Amino acid sequence: MPRLSNSTILKAHQQHPLLPLLLRECRSPDSAKNELRWLQEKANRLISFKKATRSTHAPLGWRRLLNSMCHTRSRGMPLQYILGDQPFGDLEILCQRGVLIPRAETETFTIHTAKLILDSIRGQCRESEQERCLRIVDLCTGSGCIALLLHGLLAPYIHRLSILGIDLSPTAIGLAKKNLAHNIQLGLLSKRATTEIAFQRGNVLTYNDSELGVQEVIRNFQWLPSDLQSHCDVLISNPPYISPESFRDGTTSRSVRAFEPKLALVPSLDTSTIALGIENQEDLFYYHIILLSFKLCAKLVVLECGSRSQAGRVATITRALISGYRPNTLVSIEIWPSTGTVTNGDICCEDDPCVVVLRE
Amino acid sequence: MAYIPWICSRCLARFGTRTPVGRKWRILQWRGLNTNTDSDLSASLLSRARSLAAEHSKLSSYLAASFDGKLAKRVGELAPIANVLKEWDKINESISELNHLLDDPDTDVELKPLVIEDLENSKATLPTISDNLKQALVPRHPFSALPCLLEIRPGAGGDEAGLFAFELLRMYTAFCSRRGFRSNVIKLEVGDGPAEDRLSEAVIEIDADGAYNILRTESGVHRVQRVPATETKGRTHTSAVSVMVLPSFPETGGGVDHALNFEDPSSDYYVDPQEVRSEKMRAGGAGGQHVNKTESAIRLTHIPTGIVVSMQDSRSQHANRKKAWQILRARLAEARQEAREQELVELRRGVLGGVARMGRGDKIRTYNYGQSRCTDHRSGITLHNLDGVLDGGEGLETVMESVRSWLIDQEVAALAADEVAKAKRASHS
Repeated sequence: MPRLSNSTILKAHQQHPLLPLLLRECRSPDSAKNELRWLQEKANRLISFKKATRSTHAPLGWRRLLNSMCHTRSRGMPLQYILGDQPFGDLEILCQRGVLIPRAETETFTIHTAKLILDSIRGQCRESEQERCLRIVDLCTGSGCIALLLHGLLAPYIHRLSILGIDLSPTAIGLAKKNLAHNIQLGLLSKRATTEIAFQRGNVLTYNDSELGVQEVIRNFQWLPSDLQSHCDVLISNPPYISPESFRDGTTSRSVRAFEPKLALVPSLDTSTIALGIENQEDLFYYHIILLSFKLCAKLVVLECGSRSQAGRVATITRALISGYRPNTLVSIEIWPSTGTVTNGDICCEDDPCVVVLRE
Repeated sequence: MAYIPWICSRCLARFGTRTPVGRKWRILQWRGLNTNTDSDLSASLLSRARSLAAEHSKLSSYLAASFDGKLAKRVGELAPIANVLKEWDKINESISELNHLLDDPDTDVELKPLVIEDLENSKATLPTISDNLKQALVPRHPFSALPCLLEIRPGAGGDEAGLFAFELLRMYTAFCSRRGFRSNVIKLEVGDGPAEDRLSEAVIEIDADGAYNILRTESGVHRVQRVPATETKGRTHTSAVSVMVLPSFPETGGGVDHALNFEDPSSDYYVDPQEVRSEKMRAGGAGGQHVNKTESAIRLTHIPTGIVVSMQDSRSQHANRKKAWQILRARLAEARQEAREQELVELRRGVLGGVARMGRGDKIRTYNYGQSRCTDHRSGITLHNLDGVLDGGEGLETVMESVRSWLIDQEVAALAADEVAKAKRASHS
């Protein structure tokens, strides 16, 4: 991380005395100014809310509140944890310690996936598809952002949806449920979402059929009663994909390392990794998810990866698994840049996250 | 005689009537700039109205037999012209009849005063009807039914221009809330420096159908003359702020109005996504789960025209991109419309000689603080009630109304010129 020049800090201080604090984490004056504005708005809202409800807490002025917020931010606390939410598509996703914050790249690829689903449905014959309900499984859902946004985008066009979000962490499941209720209350999701979205605990990595095994969870899940086969149409996931090396060596930023849950970032070391023949620990989840997609007969699998090279490795794993388990099926493997294929003008580089899409 | 106690004049001023004393001299002043509204229509306009009315009757008789959506729309557009023309004909007919009665020596003497009275009545209504006819003849602006975006940018004048831009922003938001339009600021950039009241760019979205037509009069350069707060020697400065009114297209075309459906490649206002370069202003390095950047700025560049829109107000990149697209689309549509109008002006130039067209580069209004005066240079109206204008209240409304009638006069003159040109061409060939 290059050092901030004295003149930058001085200039920032002239504009606002709190800006140098924010500069420590933001590294650029423009983004520091934006963050200051958002923090100011939040502080003002909190104070006016307190005044309106006449809460009995010690009356903290907005200046002092802003000051303490900026100090927290300068220590690396993610802005979303301080503000308590993050816009995601048209939704507002609540954020709290212990759950990964939704990223902009995830937002783009979720919107793109929704487009893909809608296109494929329009291509098919109408009447038979209208009757059936579309089943979507979101693995490693975290705050539930992907599941919720997909529902928001698909609900106006598809009459029956069933979306299941699965995560290992009970905190995440709790927050995802809170997000569901929060967005329905704000009117950003339709009332249907209450019955059509569910969040359950499950472990993607367990092999034996223990109670938390993700296969068991999906099998036991009450899909909307139409047909009883345990298959799903779409499997989407943003699994942990950071390797232990890049977690340590500075590729992962300080704020992420110190404040966001490691469970959601780095796949945990497992003895089975070596046995499975996977060279890189960060690819562990993809192996399990692709296997699961075969068992669920998923027609569309969308996986977010950390970089181009990782996406390449995932494609290789997929090819190996297909030849091993389902040699007779034709699966197309595509790799998108995180910006989606719509805006070709975007400049994409090697380190940007990408998406691997498997289609039957 | 009632007893009136003596009161010193100062006390009167202090405790006296609530009505402000200053109101007396807030008089409207009209200068001779605006074209005089003559009640008689030029022959060319009348012939145009007649041909349109004939088209209307032909189409409506056709529609009675079979239905066609496009034709029905055209008939709907023509109906007001035909109706007003009918009214105009009726009045003219009655006037000529009354004149005939008056001239006739056989008319009863007792009847004559009645005839004169009727004649006067008819003549009094004639100007309003011919004005209506003119208004009906003026073609509707293609964006007039749309909501709009209002862009404010300081021009020459440095800090002072930024300060005044802020005041204009306040004026328009107040105007919108007075008129009951929902307005929200979608972009607000303040200049560098410790003070936060220097605007460098602002965009307000006015979400009411037809807002474009109402605020259309505001496009152009607004000039301010005052002693700025930053001035130490008490000199009056002149600075300029440019305001642009852009059409805001509805989110989804909906397929109702094909001409304005921006997603349709055959539409005039279609923007090809291939021609737009979008950049995320984010530093290089790993992304995704590795970092948690809050930078959400988006910059769109339309390559053929070089128009750049950057947006960083929202925390969501998605929302920023959506708004940037909205602004880009609006700017391109306005530019295309402007180019089309310019072409028309070039065509007319042969007939009318030098036609002055008010473009966005022209100075349209002056706000003079020293004299508490607001002058619009197009209609020539001067209000000596600057506060009333800057509050976005009735003052502003009066000014805008005068400009609107000026615009109609301009359009009518242009129409007449078109007709003359057409007639000339017809006679030549």
